[in-house]
Parts: sequence; structure tokens; C-alpha cells
Amino acid sequence: MLERCIGERRLRQIQRGVQNMKLTFLCLLLTLLVLRGTIGAGKYGTPQQDFIELRQRFISHPHRALAEQNQPEPKPKKSDKDDEPPLRSLNDPYSLGPKISDWDSQRADWIRRHPERPNFLTKTKPRVLLVTGSSPKPCENPVGDHYLLKSIKNKIDYCRVHNIEIFYNMALLDAEMAGFWAKLPLIRALLLAHPEVEFLWWMDSDAMFTDMAFELPWERYAPYNLVMHGWDEMVYKDKNWIGLNTGSFLLRNCQWSLDLLDAWAPMGPKGPVRTEAGKILTKTLKDRPVFEADDQSAMVYLLVTQKEKWANKVYLESAYYLHGYWGILVDRYEEMIENYHPGLGDHRWPLVTHFVGCKPCGKFGDYPVERCLKQMDRAFNFGDNQILQMYGFTHKSLASRRVRRVRNETSNPLEVKDELGLLHPDFKAVQHHAS
Amino acid sequence: MGHEGVGFKSGSTRSGLPTTRSRVPRGRQIQKTFNNVKITVLCGFVTLLVLRGTIGVGNLTGSTLESEDQRVVEDIDRILREIRTDSEPEPQDPLSSLYFVNSTAHNWTYAEAVEAVNYSLGPKISDWDQQRQVWLSQNPNFPNQLLGKHRILLVTGSPPNPCDNAIGDHYLLKSTKNKIDYCRLHGIEIVYNMAHLDKELAGYWAKLPLIRKLMLSHPEIEWIWWMDSDAFFTDMAFELPLEKYKNHNLIIHGYPDLLFEQHSWIALNTGSFLFRNCQWSLDLLDAWAPMGPKGIVRELAGKILTANLKGRPAFEADDQSALIYLLTSQQDKWMSKVYVENSYYLHGFWAGLVDKYEEMIEQNHPGLGDERWPFVTHFVGCKPCGSYGDYPVERCLNSMERAFNFGDNQVLRLYGFAHKGLVSPKIKRVQDQTSDPLQVKEKLDMAARITM
Repeated sequence: MLERCIGERRLRQIQRGVQNMKLTFLCLLLTLLVLRGTIGAGKYGTPQQDFIELRQRFISHPHRALAEQNQPEPKPKKSDKDDEPPLRSLNDPYSLGPKISDWDSQRADWIRRHPERPNFLTKTKPRVLLVTGSSPKPCENPVGDHYLLKSIKNKIDYCRVHNIEIFYNMALLDAEMAGFWAKLPLIRALLLAHPEVEFLWWMDSDAMFTDMAFELPWERYAPYNLVMHGWDEMVYKDKNWIGLNTGSFLLRNCQWSLDLLDAWAPMGPKGPVRTEAGKILTKTLKDRPVFEADDQSAMVYLLVTQKEKWANKVYLESAYYLHGYWGILVDRYEEMIENYHPGLGDHRWPLVTHFVGCKPCGKFGDYPVERCLKQMDRAFNFGDNQILQMYGFTHKSLASRRVRRVRNETSNPLEVKDELGLLHPDFKAVQHHAS
Repeated sequence: MGHEGVGFKSGSTRSGLPTTRSRVPRGRQIQKTFNNVKITVLCGFVTLLVLRGTIGVGNLTGSTLESEDQRVVEDIDRILREIRTDSEPEPQDPLSSLYFVNSTAHNWTYAEAVEAVNYSLGPKISDWDQQRQVWLSQNPNFPNQLLGKHRILLVTGSPPNPCDNAIGDHYLLKSTKNKIDYCRLHGIEIVYNMAHLDKELAGYWAKLPLIRKLMLSHPEIEWIWWMDSDAFFTDMAFELPLEKYKNHNLIIHGYPDLLFEQHSWIALNTGSFLFRNCQWSLDLLDAWAPMGPKGIVRELAGKILTANLKGRPAFEADDQSALIYLLTSQQDKWMSKVYVENSYYLHGFWAGLVDKYEEMIEQNHPGLGDERWPFVTHFVGCKPCGSYGDYPVERCLNSMERAFNFGDNQVLRLYGFAHKGLVSPKIKRVQDQTSDPLQVKEKLDMAARITM
């Protein structure tokens, strides 16, 4: 019918034209694809990038599915949504709580009235409360909770041997100070509720004890109120944001500390305050990437800008690994076992191996999952061996969960002393009071 | 003439071009077709190459998004599998070779099996009380009492590998926090075990070698308190009435009538019990252990227990049934030093308790330890760590969350907080902050009523 309208020749011309166009179109499509595959198409990115983006979008999916499947459904409450705090404006100052100015005397009174809970266990050894914690919700990563469990067992072991109490926090005390800032309101609440505690030892959940025999040099810290791992030059001269580490630090229970917490907190509240503070921190501190304010950078900033006020009571410890970055330690464990022994606490036998950046509980961190988890197993076993040797056992290897006997049972168990002397060490001894 | 016009109807007479197929030479026709096919194949090939270079040929079939998802899940699964398995084989039943060789000729009895295995927890010790006394007198800085209270060591544990069900590890973590809180408030030390000390006494029997080892290593400890990982403290103010147990060495929750009259297999509960660190306890452990060794001993022992205990299903010997059997069959030897406690919930079966928490908060207060405010809520049969338990998973998890929060409220109260609801992980402030926190602390009573 078309032919009748246009004419045979015309029709054939049109047909040929259409075929040519089809060919042209096909070739164009192929060219575009090839170009896209090689040099990218501008803002749409290369297919490789697409792949990564897709992977990232779906990486959380299987875990979330597991978590959702297994998590008990909390009864939906309207009040939950209403209680999200409005974001604090930049003009509205944040406060951790009502100002206290006489904490030292309040505390001294209390200790006097309660001699059964002294703040010093012996002349030199203070009462210490180790504080750590994690989210009350199940981890997004299915093995995350298992590693949190191993981490807390590790801390329970160290603290039992060293006569330290533990507080495991699972509560978000202040929704504004969520994330890494959550430790500030927690620390303040614990200091005020436990006047008998002399030192509060904050430790991240991804840090593990790897030297069970090392006792902290308490006498060294008598003149100080804040002890962190770090280097003076890196903080005060270089203003480097990793010049110190707030993943494992000691804070004395005193007025100075309450004041420090008040001075530290302002950069913390979620929202524009934290974002703007982050910009200031990135500008001022060396090598700091661009992201919202974190407690560690804020501490560096505070010490650098108010040095005269705080620095004389701050001790930056670098003689042993109060915090030990895992990357440079975990591959050397076998070497350490061969050449050294527990009790050193430093690069030869680190007190703490801290898995910064691994984030086993959340979505994937800055390092490959497999390396993180395998190394956390090794660090755990490295520390656990020192506990097991008290009872005559050891792990079959640093990678193995199984244990083997290294000391036979005897009918005179009290004559046997464990190699490291951790069963009844001096630092656990009770002050012998003449009755 | 026959083929003319076939398949070609329209206006063939108008144009001068060859219009019928049959007029075009066959060769040309074939050539044209061939050319078309060549071009088609070439284009197809190029397309495949390009697509392969960009998104991979495997993804050409089916949805690409699903396969990314699939790959990530496989990745995680692989890592999990590697973490969960250990390349070592399961320990062998020491009698298995004998059994299979002689099975046609000989039916093993329990007594024969026990003798053949000849299991022992360790070299016999007969003077532990004296050894301990000597040590304590030589080590005054490790006394067995602190502030007038005998030293207690709480022992618990879980397997060293990740739970089959990921949520299980989360509740192990919460259960551990719960125990840390109670023990901090009451000056009790904790040992969390993750090692299989004796491969023969694996599973629920693993607590026996562990308890013995800890007793002998820590003479300064007066009481060893075993507690299952699925038991939660729900009364943070309750203190164990140790003076009641001056003359006893084993404190265990149970019912004397179920034990002595009915010989019920649930007359006692070995999920939460105390052992005094003394010779008597070592002897009891030695008498308790023989039914434990994995394999034929445990199987045959199981048959004896099922035959002798009321209500016991048929399965291998477990430590609880074995203890009940031991105490009832050797009553005169042991029962004088065993305190069967039921005036408070040293072990509280969860099903009858968890729904009443709100009622308890309204009507009672912490410190009672009994049915009004249970000391321990024990999730027997839930098995959140394994693949399946005896109860629906959701009920178990929901109840465990409630029990945890019920106990946690009593801890958070010290800091002025409480959970928003027994199922909610979120907290709210129940007491305003003050500049005089120690005045508040002085007035704080752990046994006071809870307001939510």
C-alpha cells in the first residue's frame, strides 16, 4: 500500500535509507559503549565505578536482611520519632550538665565517709574503672557481635588479673553526642556517680589487651590528670591530628577533668555545630581529612590552642603502647614470642593492639574485612595464651581456636607457679590490714 | 510458470526491475543471504566483546544487580565459613575401635565402658582442705574474704566459634554485660571461658574440668559459681545469703519433692549453682564425671538416666540428669552438704517470668530475688546461638531483650536513666542532673522501687 503512495523506486530508496540509518545507529551505539568502557562518560562514571557503587549499595543488604530477620521487632512507638533532638544551632551553647565547681571537696567528703570504698587500693595503686561499650543493636555485620564478645572477654581477663573494675556501656546517654562523642557524657556521668574511682580508663571496643602481665606505671602519673598515648612534638609542634589517640586513655576523677570535659564537648553536638567544627579542625590540624569534628581532633585542637591551661596536667605517653596501632604489630607476634616476653608493654610486646579503622561491627571499614578479622583472631589468641598459661594450656597456634595442654595436672597444684606469675601477682594483692 | 508470483503479490508488473525471486540467480541470492549473515555475526561478535569488556559476560544472563548482591553474600559466607571451621578433625571416641571390632561378640555395658575408658578429671587429691589452709596462711595478701564476705568467682562461657545464628552472639554479649554489671555491684570476679579444656568432656560437661581447674588454681576463692551463658541477672540488688550455707558445699536450685520422691530429671538445675572450694567438692566432681566422656560412655549412661529419672527423654547423658541420679542414688553420702535452694530464683525458668515484668515493676521492688522479683531469669531451651531451640525464636529473643532491659534498668537507675520500654534499646532520663550528685547518691537505694 505504501508503494502505491510513494512509488516503487521511492520505497526502495527509503528502505535503503532506513537500513543505512540502522547500521549507523548500531555503529554509534557500539562506539559509545566502547568509549564508556575505556574513558568514562563524564559524570556517569565508568562501568567499573558502577560496579563498585552497586557492590557498595548491596554490601549492607545481606547483613541487614539477617539482622532484620532475627531482630525482635520493638513495638513501634510514636514517641521514638518525636524524641530525635532538633539540631543545635551554632549560637546555642551545649552543656554536659549543671556546672560543678567544688567536685574535689565533694569527693573528698564522700571518700572520708565511706572508708570501705577507698580510692586507692594500695599506697600506689589507684582504684580504676575501665569503660568501654558498643551499640545496643545487633551489628550489621553478622560476625561483628562475635568479635565484640571476644574483645570484652579479653578485657575481663586483663581486668581480673589487675584488679580493675569494668563498665560496659550500651546506652546512648545523649542523642546529640552520638558516635565517637558518646563517651563524653558517659565519662562525666561515671565520674560523678563513682567518687571512689580514682582513674577512669576509656578503651574502645576494637582495642585488645595483648600484654596481660603489664601493670600501668601508676606512680609516674601521680602529677597528671590525663594520660593518652601520643607524642609531645606531634601534638604541640606539628599539630598533627593523630599526634595522640583517644581510643585508650586515663582520666583522673577530679575537678580539672570535669572542666576539661566541659571544654572538650562544644565541638560535639550533631548537626551544623559538628560540621562547622570539623572545618576548623581540618584547617588547623596537619593532615586531617575533611569530615565532621571527631573527639580526637578536638582534643588535639584543645591542647594546642589552650596549652597554658591544660598541658601541664596532660601526659602524652609513648614509652609503651597504651594504644598500639594494629597495622605495625600484628604481623610480628611470632617474632615477639620468639625474642621477648610479656610484661614489657612496648613495641617488643604491646600492651594494647588497637584495630583502628577495622569497624567489624558496622559496614565495611577502611581495611579488607578478611585481614581485619584474621588479625583480630591472632591478637586475641596472643593475649589469651597468657591467660591460658595460668591454667596450663595454650592455643595450638595463633590462628587456631583450639587449645592444647602444656602443663600436666598434679596432686600438688599449689606448688606449681604459672610462668608469668599471673595467678597471684603483686599488683592484685590486697593491702594487708592488721585486724 | 508454477513458481511465479509465490510470495510476491504486489505490483510486480509496474517496475522494470527483476521482481520475482526466481528471476534473481540463485547464486546471488545465496551471496546476499550470506553477506547478511556475515554482517549479523560480526556485529553480534563486536557487541559481545564490548559488553564483556564493560560489565562481564556472566551478567548478560539474568539481572546484573542480583548477581552483585549474590557475589557479596558469597564473599561474606566464605569468610564466615573459614572463621567457623578449624581444619582439625573431631576427637575420636577412645572406645570406638574396640566397640566396632567386638560389637558382634560383645554388648558393652555402662560399667564396662567406664572401666575401659578409665576417665579421670585429674590426679586424685585427698588433702585439698589442708593444702588450701596452708596456702591461705602463707599468703595473707590473698585472703578468702574481702570486707567480711567470702570471695566468689562467677564462671561462665561459650564456644570459641561464632554462633550459627548471628543474633546469638549479640545476646551472648548482652548476657556478659549483664553479668559484668551484677558482679561489679557485688564484688564478684568473673572468668569467661572460651576454651575446650578437655575434649572428652565437651558440651554441657565442659564445666566440670573447668570448675576443678579454677578451684585448684585459686585457693583464695571460697565459692565457684557456675552460670550458663543463657541466664540473666534480673535482680541487681539481691545478695546471696551466704550465711545460710555455712554448713553446705553445693548450693543448687531445685525442689526436694521432685528430687527425692519423683526422681524427676528437672528436679535440680545445673545452669546456676555454687560449689565451695573444698575437698568435698573435688570428690563430688570425681563422682559426677564418669557419665561424661563423649561417645559410647555418654550414650550408655544416657540410657540408664532415662530409665531411672522421671520424664527424661532419650538422649545422651547430660550433666544435670547425671547429678540428680548421683545425688539420689548416693543420698547418704552427699545430701547432707547439698542445699536445695528454692526460696529465691537462683535459677528462674524464663517462660513463667518474662511476661510479668511490668506487673513486678508496679507492685514490687528489687532485692527480693523470688517470684516477686526474680534473681535470675534462665532461658532454658532457647539456644539463640545454635540453629534451633525448643521454643519459637522470636519469642525467645523478645523475652531475652525484656529480661536484659529489666535488669539494665536497675543499673541505669544509678546514673539517672531507664529504658523507654522493656523492649526498647533507647533510654530516657528519669532523674535530672544536679550540681550536687553525691547527695543524690547517698540517698540512692538499690532496693527502692523502680519508676519507669
